Amino acid sequence: MIASFIPILTVDVIGSVAMIIIALLSLYKAKLLRELDPDNAVFLYLIWISTGFTIFAVSRSFGHILRQFLILTGNPDVWHTISPYSGSVNTASFMLVGLVTLFFNQSWNINEKILSSRKKLETTHVKLMDLNQTLELKVIERTERLTSIEHKSRRIFEQSLDTILVTDSSFNMKEINPAGVDLTGYDRDEMLVEPMKFQDFFASSSEWSRIKKLIEQNEYILNEEADFLRPDKSTILVLITGGVDYGAFGCDKTYHFIIKNINDRRQMEQQIIQADKLAALGELSAGVAHEINNPLGIILGYTQLVLKEEPKHRGDLKIIEKHVKNCQAVVSDLLSFSRKGSTQKTNIDINTMVKNVIDFLSNHSDFRNVDINYHFNTDTYLSITGNEQEMGQVIMNLVINACHAVDGHGNITISTGTENELISITIEDNGKGIEKKDLSKIFDPFFTTKPVGQGTGLGLSVGYGIVKRHGGDIVVKSQPGKGTVFIITLPKVLPKTLS
Amino acid sequence: MQKKNLFNVQLFLKFTPAIAVALTILIPIDGFATQLHASSEGIITHQMGHLFFLSSMVTLIFTITGKGLNKQKGWRLIQYSAFFFILWNLDAIAAHFFDNQIHAVKIENISLLKIKIITNNDSFILALCYYILKLDHLLCVPAMLFLYKGLSNLVDTQKQRITEKESS
Repeated sequence: MIASFIPILTVDVIGSVAMIIIALLSLYKAKLLRELDPDNAVFLYLIWISTGFTIFAVSRSFGHILRQFLILTGNPDVWHTISPYSGSVNTASFMLVGLVTLFFNQSWNINEKILSSRKKLETTHVKLMDLNQTLELKVIERTERLTSIEHKSRRIFEQSLDTILVTDSSFNMKEINPAGVDLTGYDRDEMLVEPMKFQDFFASSSEWSRIKKLIEQNEYILNEEADFLRPDKSTILVLITGGVDYGAFGCDKTYHFIIKNINDRRQMEQQIIQADKLAALGELSAGVAHEINNPLGIILGYTQLVLKEEPKHRGDLKIIEKHVKNCQAVVSDLLSFSRKGSTQKTNIDINTMVKNVIDFLSNHSDFRNVDINYHFNTDTYLSITGNEQEMGQVIMNLVINACHAVDGHGNITISTGTENELISITIEDNGKGIEKKDLSKIFDPFFTTKPVGQGTGLGLSVGYGIVKRHGGDIVVKSQPGKGTVFIITLPKVLPKTLS
Repeated sequence: MQKKNLFNVQLFLKFTPAIAVALTILIPIDGFATQLHASSEGIITHQMGHLFFLSSMVTLIFTITGKGLNKQKGWRLIQYSAFFFILWNLDAIAAHFFDNQIHAVKIENISLLKIKIITNNDSFILALCYYILKLDHLLCVPAMLFLYKGLSNLVDTQKQRITEKESS
């Protein structure tokens, strides 16, 4: 059969060129696909298959075009020489394509595994992110709570009126609040930098030993009383509560103490007890004095009658009369102490009254070597309502006592002052002072530290009674070996009342 | 990056036996070392190659369907490509069978524009069939075109997915 060669030639040449172009374009697309998702194994497979098709298309098309060219140019022999090589390359190329194609399943499975792993990774990542976020929120929440707790604790520590004190396991000071600085009287740095030890605050080492023993035994102490010694050598009574803190997160063992200043409270309690005691004694004294006063009057009356009628026993009767009168004086003092006596009250100029007493006493021989100083507040008129004779007696008693305390050689300072609606009279000496154990008894009737016969022990108790009867108060402060201070406070007469 | 390289090495190792086989058959010289081969071995190897190519295309079609990928246009176009390559392989096998294998057909160039198709028994039908079979580019070019279109579609789909993922 004779046929036209043009269709075969045209399809062969154009088809071959088209094959090469489309194969290259396919390879480009496959590469593009791979770039979009480099981890996708199926896309890698498509690159391989496109590469195979490109090799196949190029080898085959090149062979076809060459064959047509050589035949048309009259070189069929050359083609016959090349033909086996071209055919072999062609065979190898489409076998390669076929071989690559068979790996689709494996590529797919690998890709599935990659996708599955990626999905698991993403899920884990999301969970991790979620956990991280939750953790961050919890950290923020805990931090806020901790900050709040820390702020509250710090505020309690700083604002507490009681002393809060922290020491290490050897009782070295680690922390103390401002109230503690006020209580102990030491500088904060002085306490913490050195550092001081907790026992340094104790006035008595035996008290510290007792408290330390209790802490070691029980690991806590509850409301233990002790005296603290301040840098100015004054002592204050404190109530200590504390315990061991073994710490958290590897912190060292510490001791925490809360210390209350009960000095003022104790003093007030003692004053109340003293006042109650003196009130009871006053009642007793009044009863006794009243019952004794009448028989004494009868005894004195009959003694004086017999004295007139029996002159031969005059000496003995005079002794009886003298001692009866002494007894009457004591009874009178007891009545003054018990406030049972009636008194006439007027307005008293305190400065004038005190000055008169000092002037009177300074002429006495006992005061010859005593330096009496006075500081009167003259800014305002200091006046009280009361019995001038009784108040003068009180001041005189106190000044005489001060003279005895300085043993005739020393300083006595008397001052007056006013604060709010009270007038104060202060009698201070630099004498031997009063022992602590005697302080609570000095206002008791018949209590005296003087030798027998030198005092009745009624002076201060009578003074106490008079001051109380005038609506005032009398307190004493004393340090043995340094001196004593008596402070009398009385209600002031206001200018309106005076007019 | 390491993962990608490792993957390529793995693939290369997988292909090594195939490449070795291909290189062996690429050199069409006589194998004097062991035995003499008849000249027909070349065409049979070529025909087997076509059959292998054909079967791999059939496998590809069924694998794509088996994975459910034929629901995507891109993979469906690749299936069409495989189908046209199957047709092309059948065409090539038939053409080679007639001219190279049983030598039933022979072409002579009469002029630049004419050819003479010589058949054993002057069969016109055989000559006509052979003439049509020689127009095999009408099958392999569409096959290649479907492959290109399929890949283009996969690229577009992938781009769309990335855009959706980024926007979400």
